[in-house]
Amino acid sequence: MSDFAISRRGVLAGSTFLLASTALPAALRAQTPTNGGRLIAAADSEPRNLNPAIIASNGVFFVASKIVEPLAEASFTGKDGLEPRLATSWEGSADGLTVTFKLREGVTWHDGKPFTSADVAFSALQVWKPLQNLGRVVFKDLEAVDTPDDHTAIFRFARPTPFQLIRNALPALTSVVPKHLYEVSEIADNPANTAPVGTGPFKFAEHRPGEYYRLEKYDAYWGEDQPRLDEIIYRVLPDRAAAAGALEAEEIHLAAFSAVPLADLERISKVPGIGVISKGYETLTYQLVVEINHRRKELADRKVRQAIAHAIDKEFVVKTIFLGYATASTGPVPRNDVQFYSSDVPTYAFDVAKANALLDEAGYKRGEGGTRFALKLLPAPYFNETKQFGDYLRQALAEIGIDAELVNNDAAAHQKAVYTDHTFDLAIAPPVFRGDPAISTTILVQSGIPDGVPFSNQGGYANPELDALIAKAAETLDPDQRIALYVDFQKMVAEDLPLINVAEWGFITVARSSVKEVSNNPRWAVSNWADTWIEG
Amino acid sequence: MIALRRFLRTPEAVAGALILAALLAMALSAPWFFPRDPQSIAGPALLRPFQDWTLPLGTDRLGRDVMAGLFHGARASLAVGLAAAAGAILIGAVVGTLAGFAGGLLDEILMRITDAFQTVPGFLLALAFVSVAGPSLATVIVAITLGAWTGPARIARAEVLSIRERDYVAGARVIGMHPLEIAFREILPNALPPVLALSSVIVAAAILTEAALSFLGLGDPNRVTWGGMIAEGRAVLRSAPYLSIIPGVALVLTVLGVYLAGEGLVETSATRRMNA
Repeated sequence: MSDFAISRRGVLAGSTFLLASTALPAALRAQTPTNGGRLIAAADSEPRNLNPAIIASNGVFFVASKIVEPLAEASFTGKDGLEPRLATSWEGSADGLTVTFKLREGVTWHDGKPFTSADVAFSALQVWKPLQNLGRVVFKDLEAVDTPDDHTAIFRFARPTPFQLIRNALPALTSVVPKHLYEVSEIADNPANTAPVGTGPFKFAEHRPGEYYRLEKYDAYWGEDQPRLDEIIYRVLPDRAAAAGALEAEEIHLAAFSAVPLADLERISKVPGIGVISKGYETLTYQLVVEINHRRKELADRKVRQAIAHAIDKEFVVKTIFLGYATASTGPVPRNDVQFYSSDVPTYAFDVAKANALLDEAGYKRGEGGTRFALKLLPAPYFNETKQFGDYLRQALAEIGIDAELVNNDAAAHQKAVYTDHTFDLAIAPPVFRGDPAISTTILVQSGIPDGVPFSNQGGYANPELDALIAKAAETLDPDQRIALYVDFQKMVAEDLPLINVAEWGFITVARSSVKEVSNNPRWAVSNWADTWIEG
Repeated sequence: MIALRRFLRTPEAVAGALILAALLAMALSAPWFFPRDPQSIAGPALLRPFQDWTLPLGTDRLGRDVMAGLFHGARASLAVGLAAAAGAILIGAVVGTLAGFAGGLLDEILMRITDAFQTVPGFLLALAFVSVAGPSLATVIVAITLGAWTGPARIARAEVLSIRERDYVAGARVIGMHPLEIAFREILPNALPPVLALSSVIVAAAILTEAALSFLGLGDPNRVTWGGMIAEGRAVLRSAPYLSIIPGVALVLTVLGVYLAGEGLVETSATRRMNA
């Protein structure tokens, strides 16, 4: 462990060098990136399978996005919020049946083989479409990928597919894996899943379970003068309380994904040499959602669901549970999404009296002891905040005469109970909004999804009108019409409450101020860090 | 009476008894002093202790009253400690008596089962059991009992082995008493005192195990427990350490009290036996 501590001697040597170079103007020196150095980041989970083309999840991206690159990355300033990576341009046809990608030239895989359109075709047809959790939905109508030359890939769809959706999906869904390594054996148990080979700025070096992942600089990276860093170490620190201590002790440089507990941020922001950054998660908005099992006759009644929505004090949730690092939700699309968000939806103000009146109206009078009915509440175990919200919701429901029994499970048991066995009445989930409702939001309310698909509608909710709307939006090509349909979608969900959106939040990065170019794109923690550098 | 006087003469036993009495008073008076659900939100979040006298020990991250949690938590700790110890001693005494008295194959079978349970660390056993059965107060009690009955069983068996050769047991046999009657009416009551001496250790261990399970998130989430309070406080350890320290101190005092009182009792009964 101590191998990777920033040694005092190293820091001293660095500062002596700085003293010696005071001839340079201070401002200029601060702007000039230096090459070299090792970045040590905290990792709170330790995925074994590091193939982002199969498992498009933030836990995998956090490490793998430095090794395996997508066709395009999210950007604050680029056109349509994108900047090129392996593709240099993309264009959709008017009929929605083809999308043409021009690919970057002169890119090589970490084993030296050239990157070509064949790799993209292979990844799309053999990995994203059949195997990837999100790609299954977005690329379901992808029929073929034509490769007229080594640097052009033309995606052909069997049915019109909105180009807007494909574009929004590029950063998260299009990690390209090398065909020559994956075509030789079964994709699911290919050795490159645990020791990935990509085109990114860093090569996979080693993984010591329980200790660290190590990535090394890839010298032949296509980006000019990139990467800046020589090495990235992900130190496995599953204990959230430990990350703050490690930052202060200068054992790590960076803790992303709110590895430092929210309650500790105020204190640590005052520590010299440490900065708290809430930028860089704009396209990774998590939503705090109450999932409802509509098979329960009480919960199938819209009035009861409205009563529950009125019983939740969203301001309290934002201020006390998230300490202000969240926003109250109005519906299934987060406020920070500029393309699709609509505030024109029915809202549910915190009003206990109204909630009680609604329940009385629905015919659930208070019985003995003031209880109307009892139900089971399953908070997802992934975040402190989801668990705390479970404690809060139980109290909020007690105020309106609903006796909620909390059931805590580990991650695997929770997924089985909610998404396979449906043994819940209310559950608390943190789904992710990925920049387009069709990627991972509509499946939360759509009917007809097989049992066992995690983060989907497993509450037995079926609304033919809403299903029709979702289906129509999925094949509408005109971006403005598509947006209009999703505005209706938001209104309908907020009105009928198949689930209750409570709050939405991005994560917090805490980094030592010597680390530069942090949070410079809207999904920075899971981008490639090619331009990140360390001072001194 | 003499025993009581002797018990009172040992200062540590008195201290232990006082702590236990205070704990008992806390547990019994909890619903009276704090009639509301201790998990209900009572005030602003993260209020420090001794700021507001309606919330003397402050509030936690959600604004729940720490004092109410402490009182209600005492109920959970005591309930688990006493129930698990009673269960462990009951099972242990029965298994030990049967094994010691019957001997032969039954003895072999029962003792190998005991061995099997003893080789698995009690805490791991409890952890596995609660993970499978789901966290609730009852499963936590059963889980702790599962790991704690082997000690009493071994001691009971050893005692029974020596007692069963005594004359009065032979006498009972001669007058034609049923073997089970001999085992449980003649032998067990005499084998029990050394087994009971274990009880304080078991209670203390059970309270700690329960706290550890709650700390790991495997306690009953619908009840306040001290272990759960410590775990909750851990996230804000640096900015609000009192949230972990207060229930931690309560836990230490309780275990200490149980242990001291238990030691005192053993001591008292030992001197009485020596005198007799």
